[in-house]
Amino acid sequence: MRVGLFVTCLVDLMRPSIGFATLRLLAHAGCDVIVPEHQTCCGQPGYNAGDHTAARELAIKLALEFADCDYVVVPSGSCAGMIRVHYPTLFPDDSEPARRVRALAARTYELTDFLVNIAKLQDVPGRFTGNLTYHDSCSGLRELGVKQQPRALLAQLPDATLKEMAQCETCCGFGGAFSVKFDEISSRMADNKARHIHASGANTVVAGDLGCLLNIEGRLRRIGDQATRVLHIAEVLAGDEGQTS
Amino acid sequence: MSAREAILQRIRSAQAHAVVPEVERIIANPVRGPQPAPVADLVSRFIEQAQALSSQVLRVDARNEIPHTVAHYLAENSLGNHALCWPDFLELDWIAARIVVAAQPTSADDAVGITGAFCAIAETGTLMLLSGAHTPAATSLLPETHIAVLDSARIVATMEDAWDLLRRERGGLPRAVNFVSGPSRTADIEQTVTLGAHGPARVLIVLVG
Amino acid sequence: MKVASLKFQRNAGKSLNNKTLQSALKNIESRFVGARREAISHLDDFEAVRSRATTIRDQVLANLDQWLIRFEQEAQRRGAIVHWAETAEEANRIICDIARQYGVKKAVKSKSMVSEECGLNDALEAAGVQVVETDLGEYILQLAHEPPSHIVAPVLHKTKDEVSDLFAQHHHLPRKTGIAELCQEAREILRPHFIAADMGISGANFLIAETGSVLIVTNEGNGRLATTLPRVHVALTGIEKVVPTLEDATTLVRLLPRSATGQDITNYVSVLTGAKALDESDGPEHFHIVLLDNGRSKMLGTKLQAMLRCIRCGACMNHCPVYQNVGGHAYGWVYPGPMGSVLTPSFAGLAATLPLPNASTLCGACAVVCPVSIPLPDLLREVRHQQSLANLRPWRERKALAVWAWLALRPIWYARCAGLMSRVLAWLGGAKGRIGWLPGAWTRGRDLPAPAGQTFRDLYRKREKP
Repeated sequence: MRVGLFVTCLVDLMRPSIGFATLRLLAHAGCDVIVPEHQTCCGQPGYNAGDHTAARELAIKLALEFADCDYVVVPSGSCAGMIRVHYPTLFPDDSEPARRVRALAARTYELTDFLVNIAKLQDVPGRFTGNLTYHDSCSGLRELGVKQQPRALLAQLPDATLKEMAQCETCCGFGGAFSVKFDEISSRMADNKARHIHASGANTVVAGDLGCLLNIEGRLRRIGDQATRVLHIAEVLAGDEGQTS
Repeated sequence: MSAREAILQRIRSAQAHAVVPEVERIIANPVRGPQPAPVADLVSRFIEQAQALSSQVLRVDARNEIPHTVAHYLAENSLGNHALCWPDFLELDWIAARIVVAAQPTSADDAVGITGAFCAIAETGTLMLLSGAHTPAATSLLPETHIAVLDSARIVATMEDAWDLLRRERGGLPRAVNFVSGPSRTADIEQTVTLGAHGPARVLIVLVG
Repeated sequence: MKVASLKFQRNAGKSLNNKTLQSALKNIESRFVGARREAISHLDDFEAVRSRATTIRDQVLANLDQWLIRFEQEAQRRGAIVHWAETAEEANRIICDIARQYGVKKAVKSKSMVSEECGLNDALEAAGVQVVETDLGEYILQLAHEPPSHIVAPVLHKTKDEVSDLFAQHHHLPRKTGIAELCQEAREILRPHFIAADMGISGANFLIAETGSVLIVTNEGNGRLATTLPRVHVALTGIEKVVPTLEDATTLVRLLPRSATGQDITNYVSVLTGAKALDESDGPEHFHIVLLDNGRSKMLGTKLQAMLRCIRCGACMNHCPVYQNVGGHAYGWVYPGPMGSVLTPSFAGLAATLPLPNASTLCGACAVVCPVSIPLPDLLREVRHQQSLANLRPWRERKALAVWAWLALRPIWYARCAGLMSRVLAWLGGAKGRIGWLPGAWTRGRDLPAPAGQTFRDLYRKREKP
């Protein structure tokens, strides 16, 4: 099956390794992956700030770029949620672009959801030894129902032990622009998350959204924790984090 | 234009879509929401739930046992031997139980109020009290101790069943329907539950039959 | 009540650094969240009850005019007097007139957020009526001259010790330290007020169109006392509170206490219909119901209409990670948390409430627990959208979004900028791989993990076409 990878602007800029890990997982699952060259952003920053115009234009752009894919896979619950859940609300009419955008929404998946429920991946290629704890990123969890999927995939790593933290479903405080508009509250929420991570006893925290990871890692480092590893689920499952080719 | 007209007009213009008025049809055919699974034994379910909400329940076989049961309870809790009651209960032999009862409007100093109940609800262990000339609402409210006499045959499964019973037997609502589920409580300070706020601090249910 | 929502940022900052408040806020997770989870599990099928409750509320909102008229007819038939108020001021005027009409000197109040919305106490005091709040929490706030910080537990922000000090100072009795003793003292102080009051003021959790009744849920019994003993009862509530039948009210009562305090049912559920009959020994001789609009009808027919389903349980704030950390006062008005961040802009205006809808990570925890399925994150986004359409967003934010949108739609330029930023950030990160200071707010509380210096697209291109 022909799968389009929507890298997301944050992964493109801040941590390309997640993109390459995703490519490896998709290839391992037998997908024929394409990466449209001119992709940029899903439009979420504008949409969440109340600016629908740019979000609509980007939705149409994305629908064109991924028109010939059977599926679109996104290594982020919030970007996948934007496309799958929110794009259709921006295009309620029956025009040609609206139909295209809604069709795009219907075949877009968050990475772990795709691997478990569409690709039915049974043997993840990565290796991971040790304890890890999983943070459920909000959009993936509540907009897309991503809960068991990452856990099912992590369970395929023979030497990894999942140690659930308390309140793993509570927001880490990122929230896009929220993290800079209300940075004090955001930091406090990240503090609470850090406390639960530490209490879990795991030395690695894993999540499916780079925004959360930057927030959690940034706060952990600031409060003096240089040891806890903060990884994207794709990096763990593909076992090639840090490698780019 | 009056406020009433202005508000109604604004509502109507917001509801531009034409909806067929179904108000009377809906009221004539009230729809129950999802109901709890039926329980075989309403009485034991009621007792269990009432106790969970800190009501005490004592069972007697017949009405004439009420005064002794009440006397025993009052003595055990050092609550004296005076009580106010609904007039229905004056006929019982309180003298033999050494209890002084009176059926009169409740004052702030009355320590014990004895009432009946229209019915009770097994789902939540709740008493349903109706106000009326012979069933004043304050008797179950002002005293620190509320004793409610309940016929076990008057326990229904749900609040919906209680409404049906009320419509069937009374045709409509009295001024006040009070559902009582245990002693009054507050958790306003540090979300810590404390029994006995402004209403009774103790609720005893004497279950007859 | 004055709207202080523009100061959200500053007040939230103060809240975060207030140790007493932070210790009080810890009770939310331990008491409300856990208790709700437990109480919901007592329902055989929570989702089915919730779906029915949502339908009931939507059914009313679709024909709100007719349900209100039906309620009014039935209430009047039973001897209640129904008033309509367009604004808070009008509601206050109506209630002051009622007080004057019956020569009221003292009024006892049961907890009513609508009366807080109106600032009713001040209006009555100005009209020469002594007002005594009787809900323990509201009473404490009246002594402290503070607004509520939670719609169900108004004094959530105060610790026991603060209450002890307040009581000792106002009651001139030896200082009590136990919670039970404090409650007992309040009971003894307030009881004579109930007896002496001429007027009882309550809100209404629901108005029942079938019977013209006001339904009130309370735990303390003060709501019952305030509506039983004084000779006048005034119920003040919003026009959206009407439900069709007793059955419908029952479905909502299955959800309200469970969602609010984690109780299967409140101690008292009172359904009040009309004034006292001639042969009754208690109950109010005069029963007035004031229906307040104050911005509600404007939400009908808009994308915010679902907000009018709200039954004021407070579950959204109890589960909101922002509310849990800053408490209710930061929001600057009566209704805090997610529901308030939708309601307050509608009631008080977009301009006076700019920070509110933005003070959310849109995490969605509120929508999951809402007993009437209000899509709160979507509504918060809608208020943000309204702010944007009204050109109310700050200049810098608008410029930043314009630059972002321009670039995102021009992939070549976008790629160049991303590439440049990646290199700059990587250089700033240096050997440590993280950045401790950048202009803007990110690095005030956090480092920024630095990127590797090349974007995914550059690396991918090199890999594909070496």
